[in-house]
Amino acid sequence: MKKMIMPLLAAVFLTAPMAMPATAVERGGAMSFARYDDSVLIDPVWAERNPDIWMVTNLYDTLLRNGEKGALEPGLAEKHEVSADGKTITLTLRQGVKFSDGSALSAGDVVFSLERARNPDGPWGNLLASVTGVKAEGSTVTLSLKQPDPTILSVLATFNTGIVPKAAYEKMDGANDQEKAAAFYAAGPVTSGPFMLKEHQKGSRMVFVRNPNYWRNGEDGKPLPYLDEVDFEIIPDDATRILKLQSGEVDGAEFIPFSRVAELSADPNLDMKLFPSSRIIYAPINSRETKADGSKNPLADKRVRQALNYATDKSAIIRLVTFDTGMPMTSLMPAATTYHAGSEPLYPYDPARAQALLKEAGIEGGLDITLTTLAGSADDSTLFTALQQMWQGIGVNLKVEQVDSPTRGEKNRSGTFDIHTYGWANDINDPAQVTSWLGYYKHRQAVGTGWNNAEFNTLFETSMTETDPEKRREEYKKMQEIYAEEAPLLFLYETPFAVALAKSVRDYVQSPLGANDFSTAWKSK
Amino acid sequence: MPSAAYLLSRLLQIVPTFLLVMVFIFLFVRLLPGDPAIAMAEAKASDQQLAEIRERMGLNEPLAVQFGYFVKNTVTGDLGRSILMKRPVAEVILERLPVTVYLSLYAVALSVLVAAPLALFAATRANGPADIAIRGLFQVGLSMPVFYIGLVLLTVLGAKLRLFPVGGYGRSFIDNLYHLALPALSIALYTSAILMRNLRASLVEVLDSEFVQFARAKGLPRRIVLTRHVLRNALVSAVTLLGLSIGNLMSGTLVTETVFAVPGVGRLMLEAIFARDYPLIQGLTLTFAVIVSLTFLATDIVQSWLDPRLRQA
Repeated sequence: MKKMIMPLLAAVFLTAPMAMPATAVERGGAMSFARYDDSVLIDPVWAERNPDIWMVTNLYDTLLRNGEKGALEPGLAEKHEVSADGKTITLTLRQGVKFSDGSALSAGDVVFSLERARNPDGPWGNLLASVTGVKAEGSTVTLSLKQPDPTILSVLATFNTGIVPKAAYEKMDGANDQEKAAAFYAAGPVTSGPFMLKEHQKGSRMVFVRNPNYWRNGEDGKPLPYLDEVDFEIIPDDATRILKLQSGEVDGAEFIPFSRVAELSADPNLDMKLFPSSRIIYAPINSRETKADGSKNPLADKRVRQALNYATDKSAIIRLVTFDTGMPMTSLMPAATTYHAGSEPLYPYDPARAQALLKEAGIEGGLDITLTTLAGSADDSTLFTALQQMWQGIGVNLKVEQVDSPTRGEKNRSGTFDIHTYGWANDINDPAQVTSWLGYYKHRQAVGTGWNNAEFNTLFETSMTETDPEKRREEYKKMQEIYAEEAPLLFLYETPFAVALAKSVRDYVQSPLGANDFSTAWKSK
Repeated sequence: MPSAAYLLSRLLQIVPTFLLVMVFIFLFVRLLPGDPAIAMAEAKASDQQLAEIRERMGLNEPLAVQFGYFVKNTVTGDLGRSILMKRPVAEVILERLPVTVYLSLYAVALSVLVAAPLALFAATRANGPADIAIRGLFQVGLSMPVFYIGLVLLTVLGAKLRLFPVGGYGRSFIDNLYHLALPALSIALYTSAILMRNLRASLVEVLDSEFVQFARAKGLPRRIVLTRHVLRNALVSAVTLLGLSIGNLMSGTLVTETVFAVPGVGRLMLEAIFARDYPLIQGLTLTFAVIVSLTFLATDIVQSWLDPRLRQA
């Protein structure tokens, strides 16, 4: 059976990012889509949870766009220039662009939106921390920076810098920007993206309708989007979401459990997509010299951390947990990230080498380690059972401690753990976010591991003002090498976004960052 | 009808219940492990952002002060602001509550409609083949968890036969009847099984009592004997059971509403718990407590109407 599934999954995986065969697109109609969770507030500045973040660009367009293969493309700005000293960004706005209410999108709207996005109280304000001012002149917008910021162009293609209409937004009541944003959303906002919000019945359904004034053209030379309407239904239960799709009540369902991927791939009525994602599953290893209770921490020795990595059979775990839909980690960052370096899976399974490393580190007579997992997570339970067996062979006695998500977060922050399960997905098309999160000590003590590597930290700081892309790539390459060698993580695997669609749906895309992109989706009649 | 004094004394008994519920809600939520600020901000927030969230939520205040705020605000109808939904808790609950009330009443109505006639039918044929068959069938309903019944109904009646929609909620009263048919049925199959067993047992007992034999001996028509004498007496314990089952039904909505994608307060509670949304959990628990207390009150009133002896209690 496995032999049959593997080529099938490989085929699905490889074809996922490509467009369907070139058939003429068909316009019109409604597509219905079953979501795992509901949005609360779809606003560029105040979107906090993935169900909000991943919907923003359907309603609000950005100045630049993340094109295929991660390259930046023009968006609402048709041209951009970075000054020689890297401290001024000049953007020329596209002419004739209108908001959904027919009003012209002006440089004033852009300044207003970027000023909002800079709000340090907002969850994403720090992405624009280098910006000192935004000015407009005619159709030109100029950003002044404190220092050169290599991430700034990617930020201008990120959801948090989506453009909102100043006039319509300012009419809203609210004691602060967050309340105004909520009022604007509730009123059925004027949008700059491919869709408008027609209805949102919280917890139940949400309806997007076509923005007739959207600027981007489709394959047929007419403005996008192709669909007249996208109807979302909120179905939190996995089994029900799949049944809803199989019964033909919806045209698509997201977050298909990996255990059901093979079955749905074999369903002749469905198109099972595995979109490459920037989602990684890993386990931070507490690398501090002493544990929280003051005792010596054997995991502070990198040879012990390396040994645990060598003693972990990733392919077995990928098979058990992701039903062979995952891929082993090849670097600290997901393979879909810019400047990712590393073609081979990190720490191939080698128990003999693991044992030798432990001996070298002076660990004899066994080692007790606790793995903190999420209570109720089937994936975590499987992972623990597998690791317990794998590590037994090298004399590691693995115990489990099951907690809920907030408790795990608290343990991570206070450093009261040995190893715990964790996941990550990039929010921005740039390596800085994930690198800072996982490795930069000053951010959050390198994902709570307490790993503090001077060379890595300096490289990261240098890279944050490096404007030469080639030098930056080199710096990231070096950082990834150091990180892999030091192993403050148990490197596990990357997982795709599993979305099942009816055969009639074409060109729906979920980006590696998770964004649900309906702008080019269409339905054959 | 029950007297005004009886009603008043029953109403007053609810007050200490509510106070106790409030103390328990407040303390239990705070005894849960895990920092609500972390749950709210997700992992990527900085320590400074977390500190700001704690300050904003009043989590740094002493417990007694937090409880004082809680009681004062609750009494004035201010249940706070939901962390997850970023809106006033009362507003969020009021938006979702009608859905759960609709589903619960629908399920109760179905249960009674199924259980009452069958119980009467079975009781009048006690220990006959029809009685044994009915009881056996309901035993199956009783022994399966509601979520399992739900999934079976969804698969067979929804996805395969396409008689009903697979989950979701309608847009009008009639549309809701159609959309909520399967969740209501899956709850009703369980509740009606309990109700049927209890009602049948009471009916068998009453049917055998001397006053019924006397009524028959008087020559009263069978229909009058059954409705006026038998059913009315047998209903007392069934009503108690129905009242109690509303409490179960409320906790059952957490699972049912999730499986069937029904946007009610049960599913909201689950979302609130996962997000450690303290204000929302508190508001919802209080709502559940109010509903259950009012149901018990209604049960008492109906019982005292059915059986005047209870008014003395």
